[in-house]
Amino acid sequence: MPYHEFECSTCIPERKSHAVLKGEEDDLTTCLPEGHLATIPGTISERGCAYCGAKHVIGTPMKDAIHMSHGPVGCTYDTWQTKRYISDNDNFQLKYTHATDMKETHVVFGGMDLLKKNMIEAFKAHPEINRMTVYQTCASALIGDDMEAMAREVMKELPGTDIFVCNAPGFGGPSQSGGHHKINISWINEKVGTVEPKITSDYVINYVGDYNIQGDCEVMCDFFKRMGIQVLSTFTGNGSYDELRGMHRAHLNVLECARSAEYICNELRVKYGIPRLDIDGFGFGPLSESLMKVARFFGLEDRAQAIIDEEVARWKPELDWYKKRLTGVKVCLWPGGSKLWHWANAIHEEMGVEVVSLYTKFGHQGDMEKGIARAEVGTLAIDDPNELEGLEAMRMMKPDVIFTGVRPGEVAKKQRIQYLNAHAYHNGPYKGFEGWVRFARDIYNAHYSPIHQLSGIDISKDDFNIDKGFMTRQMISDVKLTPEEAHVEGETPYTGEFDCVTPLRTKTYPSELTRSTTAQAV
Amino acid sequence: MSCDLRAKERSGIINPIFTCQPCGAQYVSIGIKDCIAIVHGGQGCVMFVRMLFAQHFKDNFDIASSSLHEDSAVFGATGRVETAVDVLLARYPHVRVIPIITTCSTEIIGDDIEGVINKLNNGLLKEKYAGREVHLVPVHTPSFKGSMISGYDVAVESLVKAFAEQTTPNGKINLITGWVNPGDVTALKHLLAMMQIDATVLFEIESFDSPLMPDKSGVSHGETTVEDLKDTANAVGTIALNRYEGGKAAKYLEKKFKVPSVIGPSPIGIRNTDTFLKQLQTMSGKPIPEALVKERGIAIDAITDLAHMFFADKRVAIFGAPDLVISLAEFCIDMEMKPVLLLLGDDNSGYKKDDRIKALQANVDWDMEIIMNADLWELDDRIKNKGLKLDLIMGHSKGRWAAIDNHIPMVRVGFPTYDRAGLYRHPVVGYAGAIWLAEEIANTLFTDMEYKRNKEWLLNVW
Amino acid sequence: MNEETIRARIAPLEDYIMKHCLWQFHSREWDRVRQNEGILSKAKQLLCEEPVAKDTPEDRCYWVDALALTEAFQKRFAWLKEMDKESIEVLMHALKERIDFVTITGSLNKELTSPRY
Repeated sequence: MPYHEFECSTCIPERKSHAVLKGEEDDLTTCLPEGHLATIPGTISERGCAYCGAKHVIGTPMKDAIHMSHGPVGCTYDTWQTKRYISDNDNFQLKYTHATDMKETHVVFGGMDLLKKNMIEAFKAHPEINRMTVYQTCASALIGDDMEAMAREVMKELPGTDIFVCNAPGFGGPSQSGGHHKINISWINEKVGTVEPKITSDYVINYVGDYNIQGDCEVMCDFFKRMGIQVLSTFTGNGSYDELRGMHRAHLNVLECARSAEYICNELRVKYGIPRLDIDGFGFGPLSESLMKVARFFGLEDRAQAIIDEEVARWKPELDWYKKRLTGVKVCLWPGGSKLWHWANAIHEEMGVEVVSLYTKFGHQGDMEKGIARAEVGTLAIDDPNELEGLEAMRMMKPDVIFTGVRPGEVAKKQRIQYLNAHAYHNGPYKGFEGWVRFARDIYNAHYSPIHQLSGIDISKDDFNIDKGFMTRQMISDVKLTPEEAHVEGETPYTGEFDCVTPLRTKTYPSELTRSTTAQAV
Repeated sequence: MSCDLRAKERSGIINPIFTCQPCGAQYVSIGIKDCIAIVHGGQGCVMFVRMLFAQHFKDNFDIASSSLHEDSAVFGATGRVETAVDVLLARYPHVRVIPIITTCSTEIIGDDIEGVINKLNNGLLKEKYAGREVHLVPVHTPSFKGSMISGYDVAVESLVKAFAEQTTPNGKINLITGWVNPGDVTALKHLLAMMQIDATVLFEIESFDSPLMPDKSGVSHGETTVEDLKDTANAVGTIALNRYEGGKAAKYLEKKFKVPSVIGPSPIGIRNTDTFLKQLQTMSGKPIPEALVKERGIAIDAITDLAHMFFADKRVAIFGAPDLVISLAEFCIDMEMKPVLLLLGDDNSGYKKDDRIKALQANVDWDMEIIMNADLWELDDRIKNKGLKLDLIMGHSKGRWAAIDNHIPMVRVGFPTYDRAGLYRHPVVGYAGAIWLAEEIANTLFTDMEYKRNKEWLLNVW
Repeated sequence: MNEETIRARIAPLEDYIMKHCLWQFHSREWDRVRQNEGILSKAKQLLCEEPVAKDTPEDRCYWVDALALTEAFQKRFAWLKEMDKESIEVLMHALKERIDFVTITGSLNKELTSPRY
């Protein structure tokens, strides 16, 4: 096994099996790190907790529910306003968060009454909302409050309301991943099948495992709607509580983030016979193929082809402009889970960047299999990375840009390495054809930032030039291109708008597309 | 005309003003040199706090976790503290101080932190780390008590208690800043320098604002040393600027080592800064120099250009840390504004007895509400549903939607202020802070007038 | 077709699947068995121009993945067109064996046999 032992971790030998360097002869039967194991205390790991995986990652993107955490205030505060999952109902889920504010007296005497009071107060505060999700925390789990019982009481007292309870305390598992699992299973067990949805098309899907980061989900749903497909529910980006209760009536589950949401797709397959189709919404090639697969399932390939042709014609020249300038740029792909495999090969093939390292905070071995399968030889793959290993990896792999979270991004900054936010994006959405160009633009802008160039100059020691008053990004990037390469008719940097998502919300789609002309509808 | 002081009536929290105690303790820990804290609890208790700090400062801070998992929740988790201390010491040779910060889960489980520290001191540290100076400090911050504010207070006290040691008088003043920004520490040290006073600043966090260096050496970390903490027992006196963030430690030093203490007011605004200087003068016997008269004059000059022309009678709501909110309210009143709503975001029963609040109750000549144990819904609901009219909101970034949705201009102040650039760099304390605050308020109001076309022509001539 | 040719031809096919597909990476062994069988057998049928069942939702779902795969193969690997059905069958059989090995029997993923998620 091509394990890579970090110098900083020789004193914790069990870390050795958590990193591999993919070699020339390696495949997945020779090269795979451990994953999803208990974290070693004191390593300064980047992992979060199961509560966050349930509440923050999956629960809260649901846009039309009150989100309440039963516990001390911190869990609620800490997981509020740290994500960019927007919605088309003016971002209710971003703006409002609820904590039962458990205090010592509740720890001693129980917090059930407190929870009940809170639920009632919250419904009163938001008379327009009659759906609620309630999350257990470490504290409420340890004192053993029966949250389901309280939810039943409140639903009885306030007819018309519906409450979902998720028991995923922070300590439940090695990372966020434990919470993803628990909320998936609770949702299918408790809520799916309790509402009969209105079916408006002969082609019906659930779009699963997308959290509408900067509008990703809305971009994807636009493609589906253009084909006449009804997106019955989105799990859970821009998702509606009641629509998600009707997931069982879809013909197909289209799954993006299999790390966080494969469970519900698997259960829907077992319980309701709905097939699971894993797709990639990132990258021209993977996205085109994905749209075509969904279309083919319903016999709509002409519609998919028309969309692909239109989008590729519109955006490919802009992607090409960036690819030329990004070729050979070295990046570390250091996200939480699924993006390591969604992006690993697509950014290499379509933008020309070299992925020199992958890591996952909360992925399982299955995620690393996908990531390593898609990575090139020489890639350093790290499971459950920690602060020192990250720094050592940066020194070793010498990346130009790192895709990671806000805080690790600040670590990279001090190492004079540019960072892009892999979780919330810099200027997303990154899904869709236009989104992919936006991603390329962000990488380009990071790498060729004139300020970044200046950051390496030591004015006390270096002999630096004073012949210029400024540099444009292109003055820096185009040095390596011939004039013929640099100027190709039609190729330009990104020409889209600052906000490419809001206009989608007022679009209308011809209803005749939703009916199949042949009797062969699924 | 009345000033109404009461607690929020609802039992729960809609949009919290504060997070829980361990966050405050973590903020204290990053102010100490050669220190990495271990938070004993679930990983989220650290991961999100580090993210919060990173959002506010746009920089990274290292804090470790004992990574509580399911088995530990059942069988107890002191073993994970032992591993965490070992791993941390082995990999970070510079570390001398490890505060062990508890959370709700480990307090409920009932882990004996003092016991495990004892065990480590007599075992691991003697055997594996013999000859290395390592201090393990218990900090009890169960999340179900108080808030990040009291967590800060508890942690300062725990650390001072752990280290303070009476030897020889050092002639210095202990300055306990409370939860402030690097810009504040710079401003405070400037005032001390002008007064020619030698002080121990708890905590030296100017370096939180660290450079991006060509040699990649920049790092954000506090610089208060173990020696500084030890020496606090030998000072001529302690000034704790914030009653609720550091006041406990000042009282401890007074009680235990007879170091006289002055607690508050936070030197925000002209009047409170004057008070602070007077306190320094009394404690040190040194005069207030003329140069500060001039500095003060510049601040008053700037505010005079603004107060009666633009600020008079503007209705303000302020939320956040109690010392900050009260001092800001006082300063706003001096600038002819009308604070109409103050939100103090935890259940501390001491606010009722706070002289500054009593003074507001006795003297305010317009309708004012002070809500204790408040959340941000107390603000939002009043504006949306109860007809509260405001000209300005002052508070931290978590309240941004109350301002955005209700179209009310907002000055970001306090912690965290991640939705505005670089605010940690600017002081709110001292005369420099008074200038910054006044001008930030003015420019925020001006931008709003222009954006809303609300007498925007006024500024054609100024 | 000798073994060496088969090996040489399987390698790029495997590489394509590893870099572009997701269906072979379901999280449990029993599911991977099912997926590999479902998709690769349909892919073989498509390449051999045999009839492909797509009446049930499950079959249709396999078929769309199989079709995407075979189209990509045909586009990228010109030598496929030169091959007769029999050889394709041999090749695809060997490919399935290889994918089964990489993702199932030879896999280092310890979760594959976990009875729980």
